[in-house]
Amino acid sequence: MYYGRYLLRYLQNEILVLPSRVIVLVFVASLVAFPLISQDPNLLRMLIVTALFSLYAVSWDLLSGYTGQISLGHALFFGSGAYASALLSSHLGLPPYATIPAGAAVATLAGLLVGIPCLRLRKHYLALATLAFPIMLTGLVLAFPGFSGGEGGIWRIARLTSTRIEEYYLIVGVMLVAVFALWKVAGSRVGLIFHSIREDETAARALGINTVRYKLFAFALSGFTAGVAGALYAHSSAARIVAPGVVLSLFMSFQPVIWTIFGGAATIYGPITGVFILYPLLDTLNVVIPKYRMLVFALLVLFILRFMPHGISTWIRDTIERVCPSCQVRNIATRRACRACGVELRHMQP
Amino acid sequence: MKSLICCLVFSVFALGLSVSGQVIRIGVVGPMTFIQGIHHWRGATLAADEINAAGGITVGGTTYTIELVRVDSNEMQPGPDAVSAVERAITASKVDFLVGGFRTEAMLAMTEVAADYKKIFLIAGAADDGLLKGRVDKNYNRYKYLFRITPVRSTYLAQVSFILLRDVVETFRRELGISQPKIAIVAEQAAWANMIVTLVALQAGTPVDKGGFGGQHVGTWRPSALATSVAAELTAVERAGAHIVFTVFSGPVGVVFGRDWGRLQVPVAAVGINVEAQAQGWLDATGGFGAYTATAGIYATGVAVTEATLPFIEKFQAEFGELPLFTAGTYDALYILADAIRRADSLQTDAVISALETTDYVSTLGRIVFDELHDPIWGPDYITGLGVQWQDGAPKAFWPREWQPDPAKLPDLVISTPGTVPYVIPPWVKDHWQGK
Repeated sequence: MYYGRYLLRYLQNEILVLPSRVIVLVFVASLVAFPLISQDPNLLRMLIVTALFSLYAVSWDLLSGYTGQISLGHALFFGSGAYASALLSSHLGLPPYATIPAGAAVATLAGLLVGIPCLRLRKHYLALATLAFPIMLTGLVLAFPGFSGGEGGIWRIARLTSTRIEEYYLIVGVMLVAVFALWKVAGSRVGLIFHSIREDETAARALGINTVRYKLFAFALSGFTAGVAGALYAHSSAARIVAPGVVLSLFMSFQPVIWTIFGGAATIYGPITGVFILYPLLDTLNVVIPKYRMLVFALLVLFILRFMPHGISTWIRDTIERVCPSCQVRNIATRRACRACGVELRHMQP
Repeated sequence: MKSLICCLVFSVFALGLSVSGQVIRIGVVGPMTFIQGIHHWRGATLAADEINAAGGITVGGTTYTIELVRVDSNEMQPGPDAVSAVERAITASKVDFLVGGFRTEAMLAMTEVAADYKKIFLIAGAADDGLLKGRVDKNYNRYKYLFRITPVRSTYLAQVSFILLRDVVETFRRELGISQPKIAIVAEQAAWANMIVTLVALQAGTPVDKGGFGGQHVGTWRPSALATSVAAELTAVERAGAHIVFTVFSGPVGVVFGRDWGRLQVPVAAVGINVEAQAQGWLDATGGFGAYTATAGIYATGVAVTEATLPFIEKFQAEFGELPLFTAGTYDALYILADAIRRADSLQTDAVISALETTDYVSTLGRIVFDELHDPIWGPDYITGLGVQWQDGAPKAFWPREWQPDPAKLPDLVISTPGTVPYVIPPWVKDHWQGK
């Protein structure tokens, strides 16, 4: 009873007061309730891939959006998670609950291995350096085709669950929990330090922050998250095969960049918005106008970024909410006075 | 008034039923924005129109017409699109059967989906042995739904391309007096090509009496299947002193190779597998530089592999203005499927599979009989394929011509398909090497 009242109060005072939080609540509730409305395997598959790519995009946002360590070779983490998991499954016959953590661990290690040599690099030099790593891993995969499956990839991979609905709940559940955890990290002191490294690393160091340690932590955490996504992808019904042309491709590296910039960088929820709009859209365009799908896709992304340069979710949030200049608390745009300190908001620009 | 409305509603309902009729939905899978997928679709539409015009397929007294569903697998670009497309075709478009497919990497995943949903998939476009070997034989109950129509599996495809290479090597010895021609390999980065590349590299330097080509392997180059220039590879081939370049291409890089090879007048004769060179538009696509390219193929001008070949080619050319690619083997796939359904007199998957397994059908490609792996048998009296070279602006067949499949055991067996012509060394290659 007590917890019920607490939850209700929390909902009333913390969630329902801000439209962006209401949108998040509705989004999560819709995801959870979706299989009750439709069990169409096609739609479930699309949402499974969307959830996996959301996790992957969030991992890029954490490293590049928050910390400013631009990675153009993020497929390395996704691919190493997918490959480690697939290899363990096909060669040793290990079940997914053993291979997925192993895949995530390998991707974390990959994050550290990439992070160490890249510590001295900044901006486009760093971006170019990261671009090389998935190409190197592709070379390794092709060099040992007997073990790695070579160009053809690995396809004897254990399935995650026996039914599509179970798979949906597992992957969406992992995605929601992981994103919530990353959101908490991003909102914590560590997140602030990530921001400070991005804005001015020298100033952050002058304040006594061990930026090397935090940059490595960002690489490892980002690698871990992308690795979880990659490992889950390898076992999912949407993949069936882990091949270098799929999981280590340049396209796979560039996709989280597009999703995140489209949705809104350094927000955690931005990349999710980006993936949940763009992936189903691309999938639908593939059916409706396959020939022009990439053209339409590119034009749409350009159009949105022309009018919403900080991303669609940031634009929506800034349109429906405004920040109190006095106490920095967010309020719904229609409020006349701040809900926390009572300062008048009426004539403020959003 | 009420009765009138009832009558109208009933009429509309009845009309709807009669219009929808009894249909067999067949998903045609392929990269539909590429020539390979376009020919998948064209071959299938031609067959479906013919079968429907001839009265459809009668099963248990009910006549069914064929309805095709276009399944764009976007196989040239890696990603989960192929799996999505096939699953959508099965679950949303409710296809009963699948035909087509092209890229091995995508096909491995797509056939897994077909196996999951227990849908028969007649492969018409992917050659890799592993699509059936190690699957149908090792786990029959899961993979019994998979059959290959065209091309023959990689091992046999390699065998055909070896015969073509041997033919070209012999022509170099005979016409130019080069006893040990140097052989370079340029193959696209794709799974299906790996085994062929390994075998050619191994055989190139092996003496003739030990079954090799008696030449010399000078190097292997592996550009991307989507490469836009192979000038660097061709320069390296020329510097290696190669006389012959053995090609293994199924993707758009084949056009790029033909264009760069002819434009740069690289003094090497190109022979092997180049899917793009099977297309009527080859010379236009290569800017006129693709002449004298030699490739393993299925169809050639004026060559009747069986009695069904020329009528099909003529129809295809009349309808679409070009020669069919091997992916247009969906034409035969549909006829073989229709034949199996008729013989099974059922649409039950297991009954159709049993009927397919006992197929003995004279297709446009040759006589199709499936082996225990559900692969078409390769060899004389079955499917052999052709060796095709672009001569005088047209694809001419130069093999099988005076071919002795087994000179030791069957010395009298010599096969010559009517309409074949001798192989011609490209003039600039001949000029370059003559007298050297």
